[in-house]
Amino acid sequence: MRTGSALLAGTIGLTWAAVYLVTQVFVSPPLGVGTTVAAGTVASVLLVFGYPSALRGPRAAGTLWRWSRRRGGSDARPGPEERGLEGRGVERSRRRIVAGGRRMPLRSGLTADAARRTAELLRPLLGGDAVVITDRELNLAFVGPGSDHHEAGGPVRATTVRSAIAKGRTVVSRRASSMGCDDPDCPLRSGVVVPLVVGARVVGTIGVFRTHDEPTPRDQVEDMASILSLHLELAEADRERKLASDARLDALRAQINPHFLFNVLNTIASKSRTDPDEARQLLLRLSDFFRYAVRQEGQLAEFAQEYFFVRTYLSLEQARFGDRLRVRYDIDPQVLTAHVPVLVIQPLVENAVKHGLANKVEGGTVTLRARVDPLTRTTSIRVTDDGVGMAADVLDGLGTGAGAARGTEGALGEEGARGGVGLQNISERLTTLFGERFTLDIQSTAGGGTVVEVRVPLR
Amino acid sequence: MEHDDDDDDEHDTPAEVDAAFRTLRRVAITHFVLFLAAVMGVPALSLTLDWWSGGRLAGGMSPGFAMAAFGLYAFFLVIGLAAATLSSAVEARMLGGRNDDDDYPADGELP
Repeated sequence: MRTGSALLAGTIGLTWAAVYLVTQVFVSPPLGVGTTVAAGTVASVLLVFGYPSALRGPRAAGTLWRWSRRRGGSDARPGPEERGLEGRGVERSRRRIVAGGRRMPLRSGLTADAARRTAELLRPLLGGDAVVITDRELNLAFVGPGSDHHEAGGPVRATTVRSAIAKGRTVVSRRASSMGCDDPDCPLRSGVVVPLVVGARVVGTIGVFRTHDEPTPRDQVEDMASILSLHLELAEADRERKLASDARLDALRAQINPHFLFNVLNTIASKSRTDPDEARQLLLRLSDFFRYAVRQEGQLAEFAQEYFFVRTYLSLEQARFGDRLRVRYDIDPQVLTAHVPVLVIQPLVENAVKHGLANKVEGGTVTLRARVDPLTRTTSIRVTDDGVGMAADVLDGLGTGAGAARGTEGALGEEGARGGVGLQNISERLTTLFGERFTLDIQSTAGGGTVVEVRVPLR
Repeated sequence: MEHDDDDDDEHDTPAEVDAAFRTLRRVAITHFVLFLAAVMGVPALSLTLDWWSGGRLAGGMSPGFAMAAFGLYAFFLVIGLAAATLSSAVEARMLGGRNDDDDYPADGELP
């Protein structure tokens, strides 16, 4: 289904027509003009505000599930026997933490702030008097009695914690003497310390202490530690995914195809005799091109910067192809300040030149069209060429990542010739940045040109 | 042939100038449409909404009179300033080179 402001405008127009018919034609006597205007205005406001929500679709099932789960937990008042059963209490807390998903503080990694919030959350749930979360050397957070000397940010003082880190397994202490705290006034007398594990590595511990000799049940703390370890592993996976995305972008930046440089330098060399002014301009453009490719940092950039990069590239190619390469830009003023993923537009334009027009004797036109839809909060970038296009089987191959014909090849990366990694690279980076909230559409017919459109959330 | 370094560092291609022109034309057309809607809206409301002419605001002015006397000029000022600002921003972003070249010495060596 097509979306966008045009659809909304049409819907509003139809709504006004319906309001007019209902209030002025179908009723007798007709209602006042003010009533018609008010009804139409209310309907329009509802449509304008409801339209983006309708496009987003219903809320995720997981969100609803979490909401109902929280409501259920707060509405169901536990009976006396239930309050006495710590196992059920831990089960409730585990549900809450699992259901909390990304709201779990440790989901963002084992930091002091996340550890403090986690310890504050877990202390009443685990039935301990004090909760400590450490990394391998320091107390990241300590909540409860004894925090005067087991201070957050200080070194691990309890022998039980150091032992759990060293052995990589649960340590239970049932007496104050076995706690191993070097402060004689320490109120903690028993505790359970469980290592937090990411993969096979012990990255820290969680300890639940009490001021009497009956420690918290071991299995409850171990279950909770398993959940926390899972969150830490997910945080680690997120970090690695981001690193991989950065690496893909760096790889794209680093792979300046020597053929592109060779061709441009040859063009400049030939023009240096016949048109020194243009040769100088080309050198400046080439300098701008490399400068942007090397220095651009981050995953997102203002569209105007990417536009500058694209027109720099196309001006170099135009010098080489001459009249065979025609360029048309169709840029919405609003899109100039929108942020788009870096090094996404230029490879698409480059594909259009290299694979669409280079093999066409009479040449053709590359069109870059950029729009912002403020209602759907999307930025749309479309690269069109009227070149040789692609056969259906090649187009199908692109969808599976196996096609090579229009992979990014040329100025930035020559992987396309080896396996269509260029488009895959772009797709993977967009997935990392936007999840499923982007589209990358490719339409092509043999001999009829190609249209590639990227729609990303407006930033 | 000698060159003056001050006047030939930037050279926009016809396609780039054409693109900037068309984008500025969109700004101008949008500005004109808003202008026209405001100008046409006042008589349209006078014809369709009795309150627009018969109502009384502060000083005994009708809403239509207040709009014609003050509101329209304020609206024209706002959309005029917005169009001018947007046009300048468009020109700065769509033509010429990058604006962060101060980091680069004249000999072209990358820092």
